[in-house]
Amino acid sequence: MTEAAKLVGAGCATIALAGAGAGIGIVFGSLINAVARNPSLTKQLFGYAILGFALTEAIALFALMVVFLILFAI
Amino acid sequence: MLNSPLEQFNIISILRLTTPASPIGRKPYPIIPIHISNLYFSFTNSSLFFLLATLLICLLYHMVTINGGVLVPTRWQSVVEMFYEFVVNMVEEQIGEKGRKYFTLIFTTFMFILSLNLIGLIPYSFASTSHLIVTFGMSLSLFLGITIIGLQIHGLHFFSFFLPAGAPLALAPALVVIELVSYVFRPISLGVRLGANIMAGHALLVILSGFAWTMLTAGGFLAVAAIFPFAIVFAITCLEFAVAGLQAYVFTILLTIYLRDAIELH
Repeated sequence: MTEAAKLVGAGCATIALAGAGAGIGIVFGSLINAVARNPSLTKQLFGYAILGFALTEAIALFALMVVFLILFAI
Repeated sequence: MLNSPLEQFNIISILRLTTPASPIGRKPYPIIPIHISNLYFSFTNSSLFFLLATLLICLLYHMVTINGGVLVPTRWQSVVEMFYEFVVNMVEEQIGEKGRKYFTLIFTTFMFILSLNLIGLIPYSFASTSHLIVTFGMSLSLFLGITIIGLQIHGLHFFSFFLPAGAPLALAPALVVIELVSYVFRPISLGVRLGANIMAGHALLVILSGFAWTMLTAGGFLAVAAIFPFAIVFAITCLEFAVAGLQAYVFTILLTIYLRDAIELH
């Protein structure tokens, strides 16, 4: 019973990925938008985009941590 | 075959100093255990890779800069110079002149994390940065240092950091709490980001290659079709190399941003 509840909980925790997916999409979508408007800034903008990507991805990984906690730590 | 995708993260004691009184239900891997009552100081595979990364970087930098290097750089020297210039530019862009004396610290952090990440990607080696205790210990100690630098430069004025300038006084109690919480969460997110990224990447690689292996051993059509999971594993490996560099970069650039905050107070 507890085992099943753990699996259900871990599965539910992955819903958080929806937000991270949308976030990463927004980051790179905005990058393409910006580069299309001003291609000369590509290099600088790419650096910012990568930083934003890493920050957004980290949020997804927090969800992963919660999954691991539910599955293995509790 | 690995039983669990997390098995690769097991910490094994390689070197110990006295015979252990059978550590908690685990089969000891004893050579020389070091432990004082309940504290273990054993030389583990994690420490082995720490040592390896440090030695490799030191060796590389020593070898290519004997007599200060040459004017027209060799291949290895230009690699080393690229890393150096990359971090110099980063510090210069973020902090400017005041950041120059912290450059060595930031450069060391960058090279250390980068080499640990990359060494961890070699099959059957061990990724030390996949352990939260390693990354969190690193980020927390660096962050404490940055806070001390801020306090040293600004004295008690440092605490004005928690109240953005020009904010209405009525909002002050709420703002201070919010800023304080976000400040405290900085080292946590810094450490967890690096650790979780590397751990997730390595677990993913094992899961996918396990999938490919199962298909290959199933025989018949499936064995031929196993080329697709293999292609995916290959692509993910390339991605992991990018992530290894990227996470080292992100860790370092956030470090410089936090350092700038401490030096300039917004």
